Amino acid sequence: MSQMSETSRFTDHILATARGKSQAIIAKAEDERQRLLEEARRNIDREAAEITRNAEADAEGVKRREISEVRHRVKLREEMEKDKVLTDVLDETKKKVHEIVNDKNRYSSYLLRLVLDSIRQLGMQSVRVHLNAEDLKNIDTTALVREVTNTVKTPIKVEVAKNPLATSGGVVVSSSDDKIRIVNTFEQRFEALEPKLLIEAGRLLFGDHT
Amino acid sequence: MNPVSCDTAMSGLEIVKEIVDSEKEAGNLLVQAEAKALEIRKQVDDIILIEHEEKVSAAKKEAASTLQMAETRGKSEALQYEKESEVRIKELIQNASAKKNSAVKALYDIILR
Repeated sequence: MSQMSETSRFTDHILATARGKSQAIIAKAEDERQRLLEEARRNIDREAAEITRNAEADAEGVKRREISEVRHRVKLREEMEKDKVLTDVLDETKKKVHEIVNDKNRYSSYLLRLVLDSIRQLGMQSVRVHLNAEDLKNIDTTALVREVTNTVKTPIKVEVAKNPLATSGGVVVSSSDDKIRIVNTFEQRFEALEPKLLIEAGRLLFGDHT
Repeated sequence: MNPVSCDTAMSGLEIVKEIVDSEKEAGNLLVQAEAKALEIRKQVDDIILIEHEEKVSAAKKEAASTLQMAETRGKSEALQYEKESEVRIKELIQNASAKKNSAVKALYDIILR
């Protein structure tokens, strides 16, 4: 009886030990599962958060692009509209300047001023004045030369070239050998003054907007 | 033969058998435990896969919706800006057109100056 109970105690011990080990194996597996799940969940949450963060950044970019495109389009449109008005004003001004040739007195005094300016720039004692065919025909060139020589303080020889200039108005004054020329035709003045005219027109028409 | 020692020998065999049986059972218990542990570890991969799929696809869905909303909002703001700009440009050009004659005169004076 005593031997039996000793055997039973022994086998019970074997089984109890095995049960204990089994429980430990399962508990370890469950702990490991818990640890792996927590770690995986942290990684998944990070991945999901990154997707959300990237989407928010992309969304901001998409919105900015939409607005930026329209701003660019509007800016172009505005520039185009302003350009039309500026071109119109420049064309109108050119037309008005060309009309000065119809006012003989005004045009003559304007030509005189251009010739005097050109002579001052040339700084020579002998000059040649070039006019277009229309002016050669309509302007009293003798009077023009006389007025020039009277106005210029130093002695000067002024002659008017016979060959007409291809220009709508204004003058070219050259050295007598034609090597140095001061061009003061309408076309040249428009070209030279265009940047200044555009700035001035922009200021007058659009104020601070330009 | 001593009956007592015979009885003792028989008991010994039974004892050994009982011990061997309990060792077997103990071995089985350990094998079952290992199998269960393996099953538990295998479940982890499946659970992770499912949770990953659920959360990532939800995040992607939300991301697509965020993008869509941003595009819609951007288009709407852009349209509003375009409308306001139309009015502003129109006024700007009207004001400029009203000053055209005085500008022509000013430029004319610059050229003939």
